[in-house]
Amino acid sequence: MLAYNMRLALMSFKRTPGLTVLMVGALGIGIAACVVTMTLYHAMSGDPIWWKSDRLYAVTMDSWDPNKPFDPSRPQLPPPQLTYRDALHLADSGIPLRHVIMHVDKSVLTGAPAQKRPEPVRTRITSADFFAMFDVPFLYGGGWRPAADAAAEPVVVLSKHENETLFGGANSVGRIIRVDDVEFRVVGVLDDWFPHPKFYDLNNDSFGAPEDTFIPFGWTEARGKPPTGGDHDCWRLDSTNTFKDYLDADCIWIQMWAELPDARARERMQTFIDTYWAEQRKAGRFERPRNNQLINETQWLVDQRVVGTDDRILVGLAFAFLAVCLINTVGLLLAKFLNGAALTGVRRALGASRRQVFVQHMVETGMLAGAGALLGLMLAALGLWGLRTLYAVETDFGANGYQDLAHFDSASIVIAMALAIVAAFAAGLYPAWRVGRVPPAVYLKSQ
Amino acid sequence: MSLNIRPILSSLLRNRTGALLVSLQVALALAILVNATYIVKQRIDSINRPTGIDDANMFAIDSTGFTSRYDYASSVRDDLDYLRGLNGVIAAAPTNAIPLSGGGSSGPLYKSPERKNSDAQFAIMYEMDEQGLQTLGTHLISGRNFRHDEILTPMTTDNQSRRIPQVIVTESLARYFAGNTSAVGKVIYDPFGRPSTIIGVIADMAGPFTNVSYRRLLFVVPQQPRIYGFYYLVRTQPGRRDEIMRIAAEHLSTSNPDRVIKSVRSVELYKKEVFLTERITAICLAIVTVLLLAIAALGIFGLATFNVSTRTKQIGTRRAVGARKRDIIRHFLIENGLITSAGVVVGCVLALAVGYGLSRQYQLPRLDLYYLVGGVLLLWVIGQLAAWQPARRAATVSPSVATRTA
Repeated sequence: MLAYNMRLALMSFKRTPGLTVLMVGALGIGIAACVVTMTLYHAMSGDPIWWKSDRLYAVTMDSWDPNKPFDPSRPQLPPPQLTYRDALHLADSGIPLRHVIMHVDKSVLTGAPAQKRPEPVRTRITSADFFAMFDVPFLYGGGWRPAADAAAEPVVVLSKHENETLFGGANSVGRIIRVDDVEFRVVGVLDDWFPHPKFYDLNNDSFGAPEDTFIPFGWTEARGKPPTGGDHDCWRLDSTNTFKDYLDADCIWIQMWAELPDARARERMQTFIDTYWAEQRKAGRFERPRNNQLINETQWLVDQRVVGTDDRILVGLAFAFLAVCLINTVGLLLAKFLNGAALTGVRRALGASRRQVFVQHMVETGMLAGAGALLGLMLAALGLWGLRTLYAVETDFGANGYQDLAHFDSASIVIAMALAIVAAFAAGLYPAWRVGRVPPAVYLKSQ
Repeated sequence: MSLNIRPILSSLLRNRTGALLVSLQVALALAILVNATYIVKQRIDSINRPTGIDDANMFAIDSTGFTSRYDYASSVRDDLDYLRGLNGVIAAAPTNAIPLSGGGSSGPLYKSPERKNSDAQFAIMYEMDEQGLQTLGTHLISGRNFRHDEILTPMTTDNQSRRIPQVIVTESLARYFAGNTSAVGKVIYDPFGRPSTIIGVIADMAGPFTNVSYRRLLFVVPQQPRIYGFYYLVRTQPGRRDEIMRIAAEHLSTSNPDRVIKSVRSVELYKKEVFLTERITAICLAIVTVLLLAIAALGIFGLATFNVSTRTKQIGTRRAVGARKRDIIRHFLIENGLITSAGVVVGCVLALAVGYGLSRQYQLPRLDLYYLVGGVLLLWVIGQLAAWQPARRAATVSPSVATRTA
């Protein structure tokens, strides 16, 4: 029966080739627009560490200006970073399974044998748990022990890319390089690792690559100068005459994450933070209302607005566009089915039930939608390629991560298939039902 | 001339589903068209906003000393001597921030040393020397430029408590401090309550940030930037930028082993990068809008064609009883006009609703009504054009059709 209906549909397409092309084309373009924007949206709103996101929490405290919130447009949110002194204290709680305090800085690498010129890099200065907590894969070696943080041991972990630049990709564990003219020993080399978005630090370049080098947190103080990378926000500029003053100042620039496996650990951590907050408040700090939040990683991505306004507008636009294409197709299908009502009238007179007529026309619509989805996928591939090219042409600085997002993936195909089904039903239901209601006698008479 | 809308309307109502669908399509198309065009216009405006600086002929060098042997004072002097001596360079200056790059520093300034919160005005800071203004390509409106002997050494932990005696501000910032009177000679205060005297006022210009509300509120202080976050800004004669960039990059990257040249890039490139999302959104919206209009036109065309083909017999009858060809054409154009108009009315409401929603949800400016008027006219014209060919075909139906049985 299905094969028969499909044959009927093919014959119907042949009768009106122009109309068929028009309908498939409209559906294809509509589906393509949605697949392109949804693919981008899906890639942007993805959770790069979904397998443990339920236990990863950003640790925040509202240490900001008593007179105004950090982000006046969203006063309920605490600032996304901590002050150095608060971070140090919270890191000592011993409650989380793992925790990390960190920030980003710029450095210059020299001293590798194959190196022709100094290498400017971004360095993450972080406590030891970073690698285990975020499941960062290693190619050679590993991270460092927590003791290396306190002692500011000169050990460094390189990204895979940086290891290729400095050592041609060879196992460099044990080799010595100079970070800002200080000797460091390579203890580990990362494998490919590109969390999209870079959830653990969304202050700059949310879709950019992770840092090139990683060194122990103790180097924050040992380097003896304020960092020059990352975001530093101060609401109060006390006299900061020395570097020590800077570390004690009410400036936020440290990110903190905690791995809290269960509700009990979360409660204990929250209590720990609030107790510290109360003590400090007595001493004259934290004048704002209490707002210390453990923000789950999933919520964090929403709060930090990884997906921009423009991305949402484009998705909305694409769906409105698809709606127009669908209405268009409904109109054309209706016209076409009713035009062929004489034929349907004969079928009905020969004994076809309304249901059979309905099914026959739904099959025809389904085939149109299927063809539309296929065309849509091809157009979407073209569109994504165009977008990648656009990003490549428009960003002469090289990759900023957006190119990686505009890639056809399994999600695109699922989206296209879902849209095709939606399209088939949305476009076909009414015309197929309507044509079944045509009284056969009318058409038989005039023949 | 009577338009004979009554019979057209009654035939429309008899066959309302098709007409309804086209109206709905027109309504949606109008809502999307108007809002998308408006958003595109805003994006293009923010990209093309005049900068007030010579950004086309400027480039920036990111230079960082990284060894303990690096001597700031002599290095900067050597580099500036070299850059200023290059043939084709108009001016060069050290700076803490690159125009239109998206990175820089800002902080509050105050009218009085008490530093009341209500009194604070956030502004963006440039640290430059006496060639800074000329390098940017801005001009003084009143007052004077820095003198060479006024340029302070970089801020360090040892001298952080010193005050900066002179400052040059943009017109908008000057207006905040002095209203309509002259700001030159006025004293302003930094977050520590230290006074600085405004010695010059320059025209408003684009600074390093494009995304903050106070982006035109800038001040320039006569101080060399710190060793980290240090750049040279170079302005060249028109057309010579790229050539000079190459020469300078080659020389500087080898002239001093204790520092690294991280990048040499034109300000144009920074600007492109900073407006990337705006440009890509505008391009996508424009493409989708054009496709949308094409689809809507095809829909109108398809339905009009269908209407004509199902009514061949009626058309023949009308022709047989005396209707002229132009009467038939007019019938279909009016019919189409009625359908489009109905869609346009609904579309206007929808467009305003979407515009309102967008402005609420995403803090976009409210929809400009001119766009609505333009969209209505455009859709009307497209509707008539799309119906033109089917209407012409209808007119060619022979009156003899009426006499046939089939």
